[in-house]
Amino acid sequence: MANDGRQTRATDEQRLDWQLAVADTLTARGVTVAAYVPDTRLQGILSRLEDNGVAMRSLTREEECVGYAAGQRIVGQRPVVLMQSSGLGNALNALGSLAVPYRLGLPLVISMRGTLGEANPSQVPLGRATAQLLGALGIQAFSLRAAAAAGPATAGMLTLAFDAGECAALMLEAELGGGREGG
Amino acid sequence: MKAAEVARAIVSTLPDARCVSSLGTATSAVRAASGDGPHFYLGAAMGSALAAAMGVAEALPDRLVVAVLGDGELLMGASTLWSVSAYRPGNLITVVLSDGGYAITGGQQLSAPPRFAAVAQAMGGIAGLRVGSDLELRHALCELERPSLIEVELTEREWPGPSPFVDPAQVRLAFGAGLAPVPPA
Repeated sequence: MANDGRQTRATDEQRLDWQLAVADTLTARGVTVAAYVPDTRLQGILSRLEDNGVAMRSLTREEECVGYAAGQRIVGQRPVVLMQSSGLGNALNALGSLAVPYRLGLPLVISMRGTLGEANPSQVPLGRATAQLLGALGIQAFSLRAAAAAGPATAGMLTLAFDAGECAALMLEAELGGGREGG
Repeated sequence: MKAAEVARAIVSTLPDARCVSSLGTATSAVRAASGDGPHFYLGAAMGSALAAAMGVAEALPDRLVVAVLGDGELLMGASTLWSVSAYRPGNLITVVLSDGGYAITGGQQLSAPPRFAAVAQAMGGIAGLRVGSDLELRHALCELERPSLIEVELTEREWPGPSPFVDPAQVRLAFGAGLAPVPPA
């Protein structure tokens, strides 16, 4: 393989407990590949997934992540898609006209921008609209704000995706920390 | 060549391969050539078919996977070529039906010649070739190093077969049938 998806790694000290819990729950529930577009708040999850032996696919665009994961799901594999809320707009067509109608049950982990503490006005509209956009497509989205809920919320979202066959999203809110809302 | 002839060449040359076809001519042609075989027919999501094919290819490493794409489709998701170049799934063949237009919306012209084979060849890790005949296509399907991108010059526009508006549930179930079950986590 020419590129194993390795990127600048978060050190153990930089990883937050909730990031480890999300990653370890994904791994425990059988996720074998992560398709993602990089993001600061996601980094601790991504590096832990890589340590856990999950194949990492850093793709060029969020829509591509959904398409890739759709291909994995139709074979019966267990991928996860990780993106920033600002990239959700790029992914809507693949979600609405592929993942949802084919009932492929994709789990989405979305790092929120544009909410509490956001300093960049260009991030605000899509962050404000994330849950509504997903909801309009019939995708349930669950906000994660407390570290203690990270494992159970991730597990519940994966049950919806893999067992019920419904696309589902976990929104990583600013209260968790680990992001760059001010920058 | 016509789109129907391209799909027939793929299905008869690589009968065990799984196709992932994009909305429009590609899905119609693969449906016709395979008799609605167990392929991943996309009924929309233009721009996502190559990414889906890459996902299937990496999930089925022991099977050849052929992405059958319209040229307008690939323009919408061309950045996936960079991902194919990066991860280089050795069982993925991309076949582009190159007629310079958007067939599904009435044949409107692309604004520029796509030159996908040359682009693939330039980026590294993908063997790109433009072909114009059945013989050249069949040879490229078998002999090109993979991942490969074969751009087939269509000389005649003719709607190849049944509707591309597939039933997603039926496609999903048929595609999974015959594949080894994935063990539960």
